[in-house]
Amino acid sequence: MHHILVVEDSPTMRSLLASTLEELGVPAKVSQANSGFEALRALPRSCFDLIVTDINMPDINGLELISFLRQNPAYRSIPILIISTEGSERDRERGLGLGADAYLVKPFEPEELRSLARELLAAKRGG
Amino acid sequence: MAGRRSHSGRRSKAQQEFVSEAEEILERLRADLADLLDARAGAEEPGPELVNRLFRSAHSLKGLAGGFGRDAMGGLAHRLEDLLDGLRLGRVSLDSPAIDLLDEAIGLLAGLLDVEEEPGAAPLAGAAAEMVERIQAALCQADPTPGAQPVAHLDPALRRALTEYEEHRVLENVRRGRHLHLLEATLDVQAFEEGLTELTQAAREGGEVISTLPAPGEAPETQIRFTLLVASDLDQDAFRTRLQLPDASVRRVHAGGPPAPAAEATAAPPAPEPPAGPRELTSLKSISGTVRVDIRKLDELMNLVGELVIQRSALGAFAGRLAADARTARLGTDLGKLHQGLDRRLQDLQAAVLDVRMVPLAQVFEKLARVVRRLRRDEGKAVRLEIRGADTELDKLIVEDLVDPLMHVVRNAFDHAIEPPEERQAAGKPAEGRIRIEAFQRGNHVVIQVSDDGRGIDAEGVRRHAVQRGLVAPDEPLARKRLVETLLVPGFSTRDTVTATSGRGVGLDVVRTNLTALGGLLDLDWTPGLGTTVTFTLPITLAIIQALMVRVGGERFAIPLASVLETLVVEAARVQRSEGRELLNLRGEALPLRRLADEFGLVADPGTEELHVVVLGLGGARLGLLVDGLLGKQDAVIKPIQGPIQRLRGIAGATELGSHDAVLVLDVSALVEDALARPEAA
Amino acid sequence: MSRSDPTPTQPGPGPAAWRELARAAVEAPGAGAPEFVNELLVIELAGTAYALPIERVREIVRLRVITRVPRVPAEVRGVTSLRGEIFQVVDLRRRLGLPAAEADRRARIVVLHGDEGRTTGLLVDAVREVRRAPASSLRPPAPGTSPAVTALCLAGEEFVSLLDVDGVLDLGHDAA
Repeated sequence: MHHILVVEDSPTMRSLLASTLEELGVPAKVSQANSGFEALRALPRSCFDLIVTDINMPDINGLELISFLRQNPAYRSIPILIISTEGSERDRERGLGLGADAYLVKPFEPEELRSLARELLAAKRGG
Repeated sequence: MAGRRSHSGRRSKAQQEFVSEAEEILERLRADLADLLDARAGAEEPGPELVNRLFRSAHSLKGLAGGFGRDAMGGLAHRLEDLLDGLRLGRVSLDSPAIDLLDEAIGLLAGLLDVEEEPGAAPLAGAAAEMVERIQAALCQADPTPGAQPVAHLDPALRRALTEYEEHRVLENVRRGRHLHLLEATLDVQAFEEGLTELTQAAREGGEVISTLPAPGEAPETQIRFTLLVASDLDQDAFRTRLQLPDASVRRVHAGGPPAPAAEATAAPPAPEPPAGPRELTSLKSISGTVRVDIRKLDELMNLVGELVIQRSALGAFAGRLAADARTARLGTDLGKLHQGLDRRLQDLQAAVLDVRMVPLAQVFEKLARVVRRLRRDEGKAVRLEIRGADTELDKLIVEDLVDPLMHVVRNAFDHAIEPPEERQAAGKPAEGRIRIEAFQRGNHVVIQVSDDGRGIDAEGVRRHAVQRGLVAPDEPLARKRLVETLLVPGFSTRDTVTATSGRGVGLDVVRTNLTALGGLLDLDWTPGLGTTVTFTLPITLAIIQALMVRVGGERFAIPLASVLETLVVEAARVQRSEGRELLNLRGEALPLRRLADEFGLVADPGTEELHVVVLGLGGARLGLLVDGLLGKQDAVIKPIQGPIQRLRGIAGATELGSHDAVLVLDVSALVEDALARPEAA
Repeated sequence: MSRSDPTPTQPGPGPAAWRELARAAVEAPGAGAPEFVNELLVIELAGTAYALPIERVREIVRLRVITRVPRVPAEVRGVTSLRGEIFQVVDLRRRLGLPAAEADRRARIVVLHGDEGRTTGLLVDAVREVRRAPASSLRPPAPGTSPAVTALCLAGEEFVSLLDVDGVLDLGHDAA
């Protein structure tokens, strides 16, 4: 059973991401956090196999979250997928520079998200 | 109750809400713009938060207008957002032309809002289109990459995690000659929230928090380290002193110096600025002692209190179980005492939260007074308005829904009840009519009375009309009580069925329906030739009630305890029948009975010899409701039932029990009314 | 169409506009650039794909306890509570006259945005995906289909029936 954490401050986007990821074709459980702050609270309480995160969020933003994940030995190997908006290329590049594994630009096809998520999950198992 | 509204005129209500929300946003925009102008007038630097807040307001307005199909407003708000985005990122300089644009755009948005319908906005739409172009032109001239940038020597790890806006804030602060400090604290991974909040608040008092970077602590499993990047006018020592947080370390990453020259020559040389900290503190002191709170936040608060109350009940039950077992009796007793203490505190909390929702009726009465003044002017009718008890308080949500019914009753009195001056003088009354609105509290209810010294109800006219409509037999004597009931039959007294001055309580049925939705009662009293009094009786709040939980046909229902007079267990044989109705002889009085299962089309449990009767009392009416069983008392937060079906007759709302269960709350006034108005029903 | 959600979404086309788009796609394929693209939430009912305009969808939740409500039409399955809100759940199978079935673990409640007091849940067999629907992929519904279907959307080989949310929610009468 894969456990995925979706970090996104827009409730609509968040539940859409979650429901798309729930139909991954492989057993997966999806948890949701509405900010980087909430994600930090969720991390020690579960074992996540994939983190899907937005960048522009209040309090602790996506870049700060990625930086934290990559510095912490316990979370270093969790794949990270950035959900980004058009026109924020610079922030997206920064995210990849900090160690995120892939990004997706809104709006995207649900299948794009699912196949990217499956790929990242498989890569994690393989490595 | 949250969101429960009268459902007539839904579209216009949504429209009203759009307007009031847009007005609020515009109000914020104006207030922030005024602050911006003040700051500039005083040659001060407007805080970045101010511009960022303006940006967010424009963003909200864009979304709101878009959601309501107000394209002209939405388009203009969108451009305004772009302009403010440029300002907050320093791509557009905050100079007079930009501020003029802001000012004009906000004014124009307010104008567009005032025009009811988008088509009517045609003259303004042209102005809006022109404004959009002007803003676009200003944005084209803006510098996409603002010249040579000063450099701050930030830790690369920190720098890499900055978003574009945050990075802009770093550079901007450096340019202004401010110090950059790193504030670090290591916190417990499992409970970092409180520490981080404290740290952030303290830092905000000393400057601007640009970024919050989490990192693993030395023991990554148990520790998390936060680094706050703060820009401040205070140097390292002064900043540390201001913080007064012994556990946090402060490092300077950039020493402030004289401000670098700005890309454009600013109007005034930077005046010697007082340090940000003290200035913010003094300004905090000067604000008024009140805050405006969104009613939805109060609802949330009330929900939380309600949930606490439910949890508390569970705790009490648990203490009881422990106390009942000899092995854990002492633990149980101790826990019971703690539970009692908690209970008292919770009651205080509940009362305090309820108190916050209370607003005086003064605002509503003020509106009524305005209407009467206008009517007096327009119609040239001499009527004096007296208001008493305007400081009586009521739940804000009830007050909002009271405006229309009260307005209706006052207009009735003005238009129909009060006679023309010559008629009044002929009857020996003063030429000037009088309407009195009076409010007072009575127990857990608020009573509002609207009385006039007009002609009273035309009983004979009502009677004739009722006979015509077949509601009353021609020879049936019509006692006053029955007359009032007839008047309030839906559709009976609507405007189109009576002539304008017939004095038959025009539209009172609608008023009654609105009041019932609020859990209130309408009563009517009059003296022919001397005047009419309409009385509203309303619960003080709809937020939390005590409810009696009952069981019928495998379902649970909640009955507001305020309407329950008593509960009885009687032998089935004691139920009597009279003309197809079931009755119970209750201490010599005939109590009409209704089976809740029949009312709701449920299958009651197979009959036993014992019947559970909940005696409901409302005003003077009483009704015995037969249920399968009683499940005890409970505090309940009543919530509206949302969905396509807006009127669920007999259901006042629902409440949550435990985790996910919704339990329906009975609408006692509707049940009693239905039961007593259908003598033919078996 | 006016909604008073805290974060109003851009209003999508109404039912009439969908019908118009579908007709235009057939009559003048490829005409009229730039092409209008909308996003649809594809759901499943009795093995068939249906779609809802995404801007009407607030969130999707798993099946939860539904409390029966007296005196309502059979399409209203009952009420449920979600994070402090209580709203009616409409059984979409019943609403469209499809055969009833036991909800299984794929069943979801699609929570729709509503005007004040009109948040509603739709009980569906499953949620499949979010799909982009360019105007050229729209076709008018076949004659005789339910009036709640405003257009067909060609998704690969399969036709997805696009539902008119307001029509679905108009239960015709209040239960008084």
